[in-house]
Amino acid sequence: MSGSIVVEGVGKQYVKYHDQPMLAHALVRLAARSRTDRLWALRGVDLRIDSGECVGVVGRNGSGKSTLLQLLGGITAPTEGTVTVYGRVAPLISVGVGFHPELTGRDNVFLNGTILGMSRRDIERRFDAIVDFAEIDDFIDTPVKFYSSGMQVRLGFAVAVQADPQVLLVDEVLAVGDFAFQMKCLKRIDEIRTSGASVLLVSHNLSMVERLCRRTVVLHEGTVRYDGPTLEAISTLHALLDDEAQVQAGAVEVVPNVADVTEFAICNGSGTPVNATPTGERLTARVSVAAHRDIERPFVGLTIDGPRGDAIFHQGNRSRPFPPLAAGERRVYEVTWNAQMPTGTYGVRMHLGSIAADDKIAILSEPAPVTLFVQGKLDAHGVIDVEADFAAGD
Amino acid sequence: MTCWFAMSATETDVLRLSNSSASPRQLFASVWECRELITTLARKEFFVRYRRSSLGVLWAAGLPLIQATVLSIVFSRVVRIHTSTSYPVFVFTGMAVWTYFTSTITAGSTSIVDNSGLTNKIYFPRAVLPLVQARANLYGLAINILIVFALAIGFGDGLDAHILILIPATLLLVLLCSAAVLTLSALHVYFRDIRYVVQALFTGLLYLTPVFLPLQRYPSALRHVVLANPATGIVQLFHYAIAGGAADWGHAVLISGAWTVALAIAAVYVHCSRDRVLADLL
Repeated sequence: MSGSIVVEGVGKQYVKYHDQPMLAHALVRLAARSRTDRLWALRGVDLRIDSGECVGVVGRNGSGKSTLLQLLGGITAPTEGTVTVYGRVAPLISVGVGFHPELTGRDNVFLNGTILGMSRRDIERRFDAIVDFAEIDDFIDTPVKFYSSGMQVRLGFAVAVQADPQVLLVDEVLAVGDFAFQMKCLKRIDEIRTSGASVLLVSHNLSMVERLCRRTVVLHEGTVRYDGPTLEAISTLHALLDDEAQVQAGAVEVVPNVADVTEFAICNGSGTPVNATPTGERLTARVSVAAHRDIERPFVGLTIDGPRGDAIFHQGNRSRPFPPLAAGERRVYEVTWNAQMPTGTYGVRMHLGSIAADDKIAILSEPAPVTLFVQGKLDAHGVIDVEADFAAGD
Repeated sequence: MTCWFAMSATETDVLRLSNSSASPRQLFASVWECRELITTLARKEFFVRYRRSSLGVLWAAGLPLIQATVLSIVFSRVVRIHTSTSYPVFVFTGMAVWTYFTSTITAGSTSIVDNSGLTNKIYFPRAVLPLVQARANLYGLAINILIVFALAIGFGDGLDAHILILIPATLLLVLLCSAAVLTLSALHVYFRDIRYVVQALFTGLLYLTPVFLPLQRYPSALRHVVLANPATGIVQLFHYAIAGGAADWGHAVLISGAWTVALAIAAVYVHCSRDRVLADLL
């Protein structure tokens, strides 16, 4: 039941044809080479995943995550290096692949199971477990086209996890299905892992990665940027994302040439800039300001965007502004606060403003937001963490 | 570049990938391990086709029967043709082969592209997909051969030990079509024109196959073209199996065999080197 993955010096190059090669072209210009762009989707990747490990893979779109999954699933071959996968692979990238809408659930279980590499006998033996896991026993002899999308995903997932895979490749599929079924799947994935399988989880859902994986790999532009403890990995990823956000900043309407924010960072108790933190940590948002003109009543605002992108907290010190700043002066403003949120990815924004003599407010500078991953407590959900304690009475 | 794992294999499931071609032995082994997959997909292919019609699988027999009836009426009225069996039996035998030949090659040559939903998501040797078509159409061929038997008895032609020739004849037909679709389906990934080239070829090819006319009735200039047709030898073999009589099939069968060998070599070459990267272009 043990499986493992060894990736050595792997690169995958895709050829992008400007046009689909045409038979006519090929015949007319046999000698002439087609105009092609070559693109390395992955380069120089080394990775080793042992039996019983669950490793997360994160990275922004186009970082090579899907290519890595395709290579491990054997869907394509590397251009250089070698990929070795020990054990039977179940790609959960593709639950329900080959489901035919006209066939019944029963027929589709056999079809899908065979595509996944099970023999007919194996499927017969596991059939009840599959139907049971999918929770669709009344519908098993109904054509799949009458299934809800949730039912189709459940059935597909059930076939894949009941195949007793030794290597599980998990994609965003878990995003589908209701919460209870998701929990059931996660539990099953963990069972498969503890029985000795290796699990690779590729996801944009950092909370899930954090929950399931102790180790996480950050892919960026086709190379491995980080490989280690998950929280560090997420911090690395956010630092990479912030670098890019910096480039795209400047979308807000600000009054120019009055003052600049030269630095913006979130620091932990020891003053180190962070992109990830455990819940409840005392954090400091720090901006370094350089004034180009006199500013009568400067102030700053702190905004925290929740995982869904909506602002969940905002506070400024407009009513009690800082002392005046003279032209040419530099100053550091700090806002100290508690990360009282459950697990999730948050955006932390700060802006520098001033209050004019006529009490009019102007925004002078708004640096690019800092992404902050908060590692919450087990089983805590919601918008805020109220620091609940659980105790049994006498 | 081994690939496909059977559930029964215990600990030796190892997938090793690099940028090198598979050997023909590895290719055959991996396709052989997928034989159950081919059967399952072929059954799905055949039965789903008639799923929603009330007559169901009867259409598989009905359509070629109607086609052959119409054609044999037309041809027997317009031109008087003497064949070794009654004319409808002659036509229907040819049609049985021709139907298998065209439907397998038409669907098979586009099968890798048509199944991109499958090939992009999960690996099995891509060679499986065209072979599924060669396998799925065997159901139709079997039904048609049974109709031929019924017609031959019904028209008083009778059957004899010659029908045993159907076994090697069918084998050659399946091999020829498999080799052709394996090659064409891989080419079609690169050159999407293949779909239309195949369709264009088939519109004319029927009249250059001895389905309506016995080979010796073709004008001598045209006879060489008909002989070069890979389907001719197989149709001749089928006619010989049903009608017996003069054995004028040797030459044509050799040509069909040569086509099969040439296409098979091309198929093995293409799939050994390209099988795993075909999905990159879908």
